[in-house]
Amino acid sequence: MAEQLLEQARDIFEGQIDFEGQKLVENLVNISLSIVGVRFYHNPLFQQTALTSPQAIAFLVGYFLQDIKLAVYIGLAGTAATFLLTVPPWPIYNKNPVKWLPVAGAAPPTNIVIDEKMLR
Amino acid sequence: MYSSLVRLQNTFGFFTTVAFVVALLISASDFLSPRTPTVNVLKTTQLQTVKGRADYYSSKKEEYAIIKFTLDADLSSLFTWNTKQVFAYVTAEWPSAQNNNATNQAVIWDTIITAPSSDHLGNFSPSKLKRLRKSANGKGIDPSRGKLQLKNQRLKYPLTHPTGRLANTEDVQLKLHYNVQPWVGFLSWNQAQDWGKWKALKNGLSKKFTLPAIKVKEQAKKKTTRA
Repeated sequence: MAEQLLEQARDIFEGQIDFEGQKLVENLVNISLSIVGVRFYHNPLFQQTALTSPQAIAFLVGYFLQDIKLAVYIGLAGTAATFLLTVPPWPIYNKNPVKWLPVAGAAPPTNIVIDEKMLR
Repeated sequence: MYSSLVRLQNTFGFFTTVAFVVALLISASDFLSPRTPTVNVLKTTQLQTVKGRADYYSSKKEEYAIIKFTLDADLSSLFTWNTKQVFAYVTAEWPSAQNNNATNQAVIWDTIITAPSSDHLGNFSPSKLKRLRKSANGKGIDPSRGKLQLKNQRLKYPLTHPTGRLANTEDVQLKLHYNVQPWVGFLSWNQAQDWGKWKALKNGLSKKFTLPAIKVKEQAKKKTTRA
């Protein structure tokens, strides 16, 4: 019982996500934190969305309204939002779990159930 | 990016990079805004040389210059969104007596002009802070800041010389200096020449004048106590 609880706690703490989710998070971090021209020029889609990223907004708004406090607040708020978006293992990042192949060779013994999920 | 901890670290790591680039952009944006500081009037209105001591217990008698000056300058173009404060100061400068091409330079007056974004950092009385906030009117830049208007301003710091002799000094000039302190970026001082959109300070020097000889003793004593 205690082990189960520990296992659950570890899962929550680790917050693992699948490979597709990792790719998505990587892109999200880059877009949502970035400013135009930094780091993601390899993907044309991101070049467009990058214009709406908080840091770019922070600089542009600050420059055109000539208000540095506003720029700092927008930048920090955007960064906080990015952390919230990317750090927890949201279900959207676990949409494509890895499908393991069935164990090769002998069929699993039917009378012993080790782990229902692993053998399916 | 497979676990929360790794995502936290990667996001934060990239955030530091992005923040640094934004800071660079902000400091570079300074070059886009023109700086055209001008001095309309910088002249002395009263000159006097007196004998006195540095403090009550000092045995050395030195000569002190008493200068009053009038300054009308417009430094408001130094304020952009990245300006934290401007330090403006007036120096008295005169060539060395030994004729060795050295210049004596002493600050006689200075002031800190805060931008509205740094009013809360200044060591102001509540009433002055209120007045500053009112003049800024919630905006990031206040055009009335940076307009210096002094009339018959007394010295803020005593003006003397290590030799103790100052009377009859020739070719003394007052000079206005400024130092722009940005939120991010490099400090910049008044320039001797134009630099892109940053123009040199115009008219920053007063006319050359000669400090007067010391007056008779009774009068000098009276003045010393005031100085």
